[in-house]
Amino acid sequence: MAGRRTVETLVVMQPIAVDTGSPDHEGRLVIANGLLVAVLVRLEAPEHDEIGGWFLEVGFGRLKGLRAPTFLTLDAATRWLRGELRP
Amino acid sequence: MGNALTRKLESYEPLSTEDRHALNALVPRMRQVGAHVDLIREGDAPDKVLLILDGFACRYKVLPDGQRQIMAYLVPGDFCDLNVFILDEMDHNIGTISQCQVVDIQRKAIDEISTRHPSITRAFLWCALVDGAVLREWLVNMGARTPDQRIAHLFCELLTRLEVVGRVNDNSYAFPFTQSEIAETMGLSNVHVNRTIRELRALDLIKLKGRVLTILDVDRLKAYCRFTPNYLHIRNTRWGERRDLAWPGQAAGG
Repeated sequence: MAGRRTVETLVVMQPIAVDTGSPDHEGRLVIANGLLVAVLVRLEAPEHDEIGGWFLEVGFGRLKGLRAPTFLTLDAATRWLRGELRP
Repeated sequence: MGNALTRKLESYEPLSTEDRHALNALVPRMRQVGAHVDLIREGDAPDKVLLILDGFACRYKVLPDGQRQIMAYLVPGDFCDLNVFILDEMDHNIGTISQCQVVDIQRKAIDEISTRHPSITRAFLWCALVDGAVLREWLVNMGARTPDQRIAHLFCELLTRLEVVGRVNDNSYAFPFTQSEIAETMGLSNVHVNRTIRELRALDLIKLKGRVLTILDVDRLKAYCRFTPNYLHIRNTRWGERRDLAWPGQAAGG
């Protein structure tokens, strides 16, 4: 039990196409320790401020309703997710 | 052509020439305020009534994490609660969105006008009831409409409110709101606001260019979000039939 806090959350990003009703299709299912916790979508529509960034489309569990920044890379998203999911 | 306040009040209640003079007398102390300036802050003691004669302002709160929620828009002719000075302190902020012409009305002036002009008093009460009705409709918007309908509904509401005060030309009106301000109003992310506006454009319902919003098909936009303007209680005496409205306790005459 003592060592539990030092174990990092295992985050797996699984590619998935998402229907957002916009040109933003490319997505990732975010699976943390075997549970689906979020869906990220890459911003592609020209109207967006941060084109190419990754947007937290939806979060589950502890990520539900959270407002996240748009991430420049999936690595940046993973770091943020680990921080939010830290036990 | 009266000022925005007179026009708004006249859409609720017929006013006499004396009434209009009395309202115009409130207006001379007008000041110009830049965009994104707080007019009164949460915690301040309200000592006057703020009236927006031109431009857009909003009521908002900021949560401890910095998240802002806008709860109301003030458009030309709108004022913050008429009896606000009964309260010790403001429970929210009022700030401008665009550059505004603001009038600070002193309590004494409101008291005087209320004693001498019953029609104005009734129109003021009407305003307060409509403000409550708009807030209720916004609650319905947030709780029960889809994001697309929510934003379309706001566009329809602004069209109706701005039309009353003569700020609409060919279904176009000034739209100084940023994407973030709409997001903060609608409880949505900037990304979702973006996608929704894109969708409304793709459906040829709206055009948004150079901070001017044009509603390309009013009937279709209203149908899209099931907009019913009943909650705005506009009874324009110049264009519409006024129903017989009796005060409580008075016999409803014919």
